[in-house]
Amino acid sequence: MTDSTSAVSSASGSARAKAAAVGPALRALLSADAQVLLRSRQTLVLNLLVPLIFLVVTARAGGQAAGASAPLGGATFEIGLALTYGLIASAMMGYSITVARDREAGVFQRLRVAPVPTWAIMLSRLLVQFGAAIVSSIIVIVIGSIIHQVAFSVGTYLLMLVVALFGAAMFLGIGQAIVGLIRSTAAVNAIGRVVYIVLILLGILGASGVLGDAVQNISAWTPVGALITLFAGVQQLSAWGWAQSGALLACAGYLVVFAGVGIRWFQWEAR
Amino acid sequence: MVEVSDRPALSVDGLIVKFGARTAVNGVGFQVAAGEIVGLLGPNGAGKTTTLSVIEGLRKPLAGSVTIDGIDALEHPVAVKARLGVQLQSSGFQPELNIAQILKLYAGVYGVQLSRQDALDALDSTGLEQEARKRFKDLSGGQQQRFSLLIADIHRPLLLLLDEPTSGLDPQSRRSLWTRIEASRKRGGSVVLTTHSMEEAQAVCDRIVIIDHGEVVTTGSPAELIARHRDDPRVLELAHGEPTLEDVFIALTGSDIRD
Repeated sequence: MTDSTSAVSSASGSARAKAAAVGPALRALLSADAQVLLRSRQTLVLNLLVPLIFLVVTARAGGQAAGASAPLGGATFEIGLALTYGLIASAMMGYSITVARDREAGVFQRLRVAPVPTWAIMLSRLLVQFGAAIVSSIIVIVIGSIIHQVAFSVGTYLLMLVVALFGAAMFLGIGQAIVGLIRSTAAVNAIGRVVYIVLILLGILGASGVLGDAVQNISAWTPVGALITLFAGVQQLSAWGWAQSGALLACAGYLVVFAGVGIRWFQWEAR
Repeated sequence: MVEVSDRPALSVDGLIVKFGARTAVNGVGFQVAAGEIVGLLGPNGAGKTTTLSVIEGLRKPLAGSVTIDGIDALEHPVAVKARLGVQLQSSGFQPELNIAQILKLYAGVYGVQLSRQDALDALDSTGLEQEARKRFKDLSGGQQQRFSLLIADIHRPLLLLLDEPTSGLDPQSRRSLWTRIEASRKRGGSVVLTTHSMEEAQAVCDRIVIIDHGEVVTTGSPAELIARHRDDPRVLELAHGEPTLEDVFIALTGSDIRD
């Protein structure tokens, strides 16, 4: 065997070995990313605080109002809105800011010179974010059902978790688009906050109808509106209709478009 | 563990890298033998770091090839990266993790199983055991460089790529780094390093590759380069007594200050 052929066979053999070795590397990345997330306890608490405060406020307001005239269309809608806020905060803002900061600090640069594919670096972060989304969603669903005195079946709980994962994927996609298109950490931070506020306002004001029917209709098709519709839909499956199916398609569309843009144009280097 | 082989540890050929209209690297080519320490020297902006970034797999060249241990680095980047140990000019590590956790992360990424005691022993070998719970940013400059080199060397790579490893270090830390680099060579590993210290290059490197304006200007051992250029009028004009590597370097790359 010549030197070059032995080199090629050694390379392909090594490539196979490396493919098999992605598992341990991914485990190491997952462990490190999970540790990073747990070290950011303050952020985790804040991400949970907004939906929990929202649940308390809407429960109190709903209690003062008559049952049918609940402020935002009832408990199912309000629990959905609270879940959505939690997902926006962690999946969209938390993810995009962390990625932008690590990119600027050279963390990705260092990882990219190691024998680990770039998809594994991103997958690890996304899986950890999904894990965080599941945990925070469970907390919000359980506390929401207690505060709003709603009893869900096990099936409904599971469906809400599936929708929460779907929503997390959509907001991670939006976060990926923000951090993919914008290199500066400060700009990612600022734009993430603006998008967060706009989405929250559209969710509350749009859904309440105080800004008129037109805004209410537009609000229903925003990422927030579509996801709340889905959350409300799985809580009352008997009422599932075109609006819920449309919301499902809209969320899938947002996920594909934003994640596609964010992955296609993602810059691994800050400069 | 390094296996000593006859083929070059690194072979770079006809590398071309452009940033827009500017050609940063223009046909750079050189080889590094097994167990050899090669210094890549050049003024600021000469193309050293860009050349290294292609070898590291961070940048794709417009043309040319990079072969590491006989493997095409552009075709098999992951296989090649497993054979490389890299110390970047400025290392970025997760700010939330302490250095023991970072060490375990990179050991895992390179497929090295480290128990907690192994990690502490590794840190102890670089005088960092007491700092195990500190974050990278809280280490001194010398400690940061030692830790970065420890990470680069954790899997006993075939080829170490060190970008200005002793920049900003005191003489003790510099000497300690040289010792580790020498230990890597003794295991049969090769080293490519960039430095602005001609004294360091002369003391540590078996061979020097001088790059300027993206091209290789000359190559040879420090003694060969001095002997080859000692009668060059530009060297004679610069030298105070016996010509040094720095005299040769400035004579070949000019005395204009580069940014």
